[in-house]
Amino acid sequence: MPGRGRCPDCGSTELVEDSHYSQSQLVCSDCGCVVTEGVLTTTFSDEGNLREVTYSRSTGENEQVSRSQQRGLRRVRDLCRVLQLPPTFEDTAVAYYQQAYRHSGIRAARLQKKEVLVGCCVLITCRQHNWPLTMGAICTLLYADLDVFSSTYMQIVKLLGLDVPSLCLAELVKTYCSSFKLFQASPSVPAKYVEDKEKMLSRTLQLVELANETWLVTGRHPLPVITAATFLAWQSLQPADRLSCSLARFCKLANVDLPYPASSRLQELLAVLLRMAEQLAWLRVLRLDKRSVVKHIGDLLQHRQSLVRSAFRDGTAEVETREKEPPGWGQGQGEGEVGNNSLGLPQGKRPASPALLLPPCMLKSPKRICPAPPVSTVTGDENISDSEIEQYLRTPQEVRDFQRAQAARQAATSVPNPP
Amino acid sequence: MDQNNSLPPYAQGLASPQGAMTPGIPIFSPMMPYGTGLTPQPIQNTNSLSILEEQQRQQQQQQQQQQQQQQQQQQQQQQQQQQQAVAAAAVQQSASQQATQGTAGQAPQLFHSQTLTTAPLPGTTPLYPSPMTPMTPITPATPASESSGIVPQLQNIVSTVNLGCKLDLKTIALRARNAEYNPKRFAAVIMRIREPRTTALIFSSGKMVCTGAKSEEQSRLAARKYARVVQKLGFPAKFLDFKIQNMVGSCDVKFPIRLEGLVLTHQQFSSYEPELFPGLIYRMIKPRIVLLIFVSGKVVLTGAKVRAEIYEAFENIYPILKGFRKTT
Repeated sequence: MPGRGRCPDCGSTELVEDSHYSQSQLVCSDCGCVVTEGVLTTTFSDEGNLREVTYSRSTGENEQVSRSQQRGLRRVRDLCRVLQLPPTFEDTAVAYYQQAYRHSGIRAARLQKKEVLVGCCVLITCRQHNWPLTMGAICTLLYADLDVFSSTYMQIVKLLGLDVPSLCLAELVKTYCSSFKLFQASPSVPAKYVEDKEKMLSRTLQLVELANETWLVTGRHPLPVITAATFLAWQSLQPADRLSCSLARFCKLANVDLPYPASSRLQELLAVLLRMAEQLAWLRVLRLDKRSVVKHIGDLLQHRQSLVRSAFRDGTAEVETREKEPPGWGQGQGEGEVGNNSLGLPQGKRPASPALLLPPCMLKSPKRICPAPPVSTVTGDENISDSEIEQYLRTPQEVRDFQRAQAARQAATSVPNPP
Repeated sequence: MDQNNSLPPYAQGLASPQGAMTPGIPIFSPMMPYGTGLTPQPIQNTNSLSILEEQQRQQQQQQQQQQQQQQQQQQQQQQQQQQQAVAAAAVQQSASQQATQGTAGQAPQLFHSQTLTTAPLPGTTPLYPSPMTPMTPITPATPASESSGIVPQLQNIVSTVNLGCKLDLKTIALRARNAEYNPKRFAAVIMRIREPRTTALIFSSGKMVCTGAKSEEQSRLAARKYARVVQKLGFPAKFLDFKIQNMVGSCDVKFPIRLEGLVLTHQQFSSYEPELFPGLIYRMIKPRIVLLIFVSGKVVLTGAKVRAEIYEAFENIYPILKGFRKTT
């Protein structure tokens, strides 16, 4: 190369810059003599640009999809297929997962959380399309704890700023009811227990709507209410044969898990139906109880709008007036007879005075009366007496006793067991 | 024109008296479109109120136009006075921008000569209900913005204080009667006193957390008592940087609430998952308080640093909850 000097050996000007591994060298192309060579080692400051960067600080993360993200996306797709969701759901859920993965908090989360995140994305997608998928179902599929699921779910909704609609009750009723194995006779399901799907669905829907109207659904897990409503609907369609079957047996026959609160929901629903029955003259004379009212559920549901209106009065206004009344009045249902008398109406002719339409938690008497807290006149800057503080300090004798006791305990636990 | 003192009365540490100047929700303020996310808006269904709103909106639009014309004139005057072409160009640009923008909230109000009482100043969130007719002073106790008459009770105060010296937790646990210390479980001494009934977590760095008091003064007194105990145990404890970190209050509106309806209308603030928790979690933005609203009408308010925030949050939520009463 011209202008770079001459080879000291042969005098040619053909010097080539070449490197021997990492060492740069200037070599004569004629005779091979090494004219100059670079430094083998570099200084610390020189290496500034050459030092290795951790993966998390490089741009590699953004350029390629990491293996755990790939695994997560595969899991999302698998979960959608297992649940037999429409194909559009899969793409939406995958998009949510990718969106979540862009946040560093999710990227660095534990594998357990990433697994649960898969379920959260699928759940959000289903909710947005009004597909009735419960959290319990997803947790069962993922073998996840509901606590872990709930914390991840709340976090991801907040993080992505999503608007997730509530669970659609009507859709849930349809899906859940269809899962009951009562629509065909089988060795475990006798003929008299088999029911037509459409009839059962429509009656269950009506019962769930009634429960919703009478404050039995707000604030509670939806599934036990639907179980109770399905049971009542099934019983009422053929009461003669089915009244003898209990809720637990019904769920076992239908091959469905019995949720624990379902029995108390059932009692609440029956109480509402009994109240409604009181408003119908021909049912009032029958003096129905919780078992016999089942036979008349069909009639009650047919007129449920007007019956609810007449059987219950608005609890919202009533609770306030109740406070101002003299304390001699009883709670909720007990007011019926007294109310009639004060209104000057004859007792026998009219139906029972409407009960308050309130959520069950407001109808129960409080477990304990909370006394009003005494108004404290503490200023925060009072003098603190020494005696008050002394009561919290151990006397020297106590300290010695305590230390002795601790030492004895230590000795007892450290002695090895005799062979 | 005069905007009243922007501090609501109870922000000054007093309970809001009934019938007084009540900073309710700006129900009639069209300046705050529904769902801006600052102060929650109740949903009004009655026809008479919506007609009034319409009237107000028209009046306010007229006022806005007047204001903007004024501002353009004012800004042209300013231009002539300024000698720097760059500044003048900037003002000209901003003036022309403001002429095209329709909202008075973004236009600087340089002279208040013709600003009417109904227009809130930009930058201040309208805490007061705008009057129903223009040119009248803000009247207290308009039917829709009545004070609720319910005062949330404080249930718990969490505060921290720095004792200013390193502590030997083993010594404290040994020589104090009311202390428990289990280093394998938690790296702090848990100390309790009877009056005020509180619990303290005392760390070896000298920092202390005091919980369980029912008022700010009680929390301070309790923290001082713990510091005195630590002092008597032989450490040079001081009482530095006492700060209230969290206040929790609760109250009862005494009527049932349709949580499903509330989550539909206020979905950007609310989170209601009956499968997870029976209450609705309402995250209010101004003031920054989290409310747990239950179907029985009980409300828990938390996240406040001062008592006034709890009261303000409750006054904000009460009209909204009342709005859901009628739908039963």
